[in-house]
Amino acid sequence: MGKRTPLYEKHLKLGGRIVDFAGWDLPVQYTSAIDEHMAVRTNAGLFDISHMGEFSVKGKESQKYLESLVPTSFSKLEDGKGMYSCLCNEKGGIIDDFFIFRIAADDFYLVVNAGTREKDFKWLQANLKGDVVLEDLSDITAKIDVQGPLSKGIMEKVFSDVDFESLERFHFTYSKFNEKPVMISNTGYTGEAGYELFIDPAIAGTLWDLLLEKGKPFNLLPCGLASRDSLRLEACYSLYGHELNENVNPFEAGLSWIVNSEKKYVASDILKKVKEDGPERRTVCLVIKDKGIPREGYRVMHEGADIGHVTSGGYSPVMKKGIAFALVKAKAVKTGSDVDIVIRDKNVGASVVKRPFYSFNG
Amino acid sequence: MDANKGREVKEGYRYTDKHEWVKAEGNGTALCGISDFAQNSLGDIVYVELSAESGSDISGGDVIAVVESAKAASDVYSPVSGKVLEINSAIEDSPETVNKSPYDEGWFIKLELADTAELEKLMTPAQYTDFLAAGG
Repeated sequence: MGKRTPLYEKHLKLGGRIVDFAGWDLPVQYTSAIDEHMAVRTNAGLFDISHMGEFSVKGKESQKYLESLVPTSFSKLEDGKGMYSCLCNEKGGIIDDFFIFRIAADDFYLVVNAGTREKDFKWLQANLKGDVVLEDLSDITAKIDVQGPLSKGIMEKVFSDVDFESLERFHFTYSKFNEKPVMISNTGYTGEAGYELFIDPAIAGTLWDLLLEKGKPFNLLPCGLASRDSLRLEACYSLYGHELNENVNPFEAGLSWIVNSEKKYVASDILKKVKEDGPERRTVCLVIKDKGIPREGYRVMHEGADIGHVTSGGYSPVMKKGIAFALVKAKAVKTGSDVDIVIRDKNVGASVVKRPFYSFNG
Repeated sequence: MDANKGREVKEGYRYTDKHEWVKAEGNGTALCGISDFAQNSLGDIVYVELSAESGSDISGGDVIAVVESAKAASDVYSPVSGKVLEINSAIEDSPETVNKSPYDEGWFIKLELADTAELEKLMTPAQYTDFLAAGG
């Protein structure tokens, strides 16, 4: 038995099919992964993301400390705003990708992956310096995501005190539910407009039920991990352990845009050199031309030569085709190139397409 | 929620412990497919590749197809031995047919049975129902 979120019983009641994910018992789907995917694309979906980790970094030198660890500039980060970044090891490989929210100049909130939480915390602890207090809030934090073009309407019904019109993308605010504070960020992992709610586990069940009830007129569906994965793949968001790992640097992973810090940080010299020389490998988007579903680990061939492998693959409910991220030799292909994906010993034709498969809709 | 959803067991069919079915058609031929439980466990089927070829001889337990759901690929095995008379290419074009109609339109292959006695070794509907109740 894995770890259970405060919403575990709700998932069972809703008919969720429970699977293991990074040591957690979570629903992979409730009714249909494709219906849940399309609900988020057209209406709204509700996700239990309580497995993810949350850290607090407080103290006068918090920013300086974080800047010594991440490749992303803090120049555009302000109170009430978040940004996507990553932790790199000494070789420039990615320890984890995460969100950094700035509550105040001396108060930051990090949202990390469930599977890397312990490793991240150890890394952050080992690199602690100056006036900084690091705390793991994961066990006292639950998280619910409301995603989709109609999510704002649902949120307005539940949090009537929040002005969602003025809550811009990547910004966050606070409200209350049953006397408990709720942090609401305009962020997500689906390619749609939406919100992430960081809450006290004690209110998770009541809030989940109320969101489902208020979401009914908006055709809100509870959504499982399968749709979360197909949604993020269409939107071309990396998943740790797939596109990202300790042997892949941000340039190879297609995350060059988060490498823009002028400061000295872990692996800054190495990443500077990768930028100058160009990465050896890069992550490309592939679409199967006819039929077939690419899966992680499948080889990618170009003109008879093995150029790399699929890092994530699946069926796109929007494009009705097999799609994939692949890590390939940097100069082997460009947009428009034809490649073959080896599926069960057969070459299946695919094209390299522009990133993303599905543009952010919000 | 319908308690029987995803667990329908049809009379007149025989079942394997891997959730395939075979239905004798009376003239020494039989249709094969996957059970309602199988299609429901897989979830949305988005791709079917029938590897069995018309005219070929196959044995019980041979892989006849690969089905892919939103999350994973799974092999489908022939419940019995025989000569493949026909494959249902319609499910390659519309894989969702297997979800919608696992016992009828969603059949996989038609066989000329090598030995009708093989059917007797498979589970009856009652036995398969008990098998599902015991956790499949």
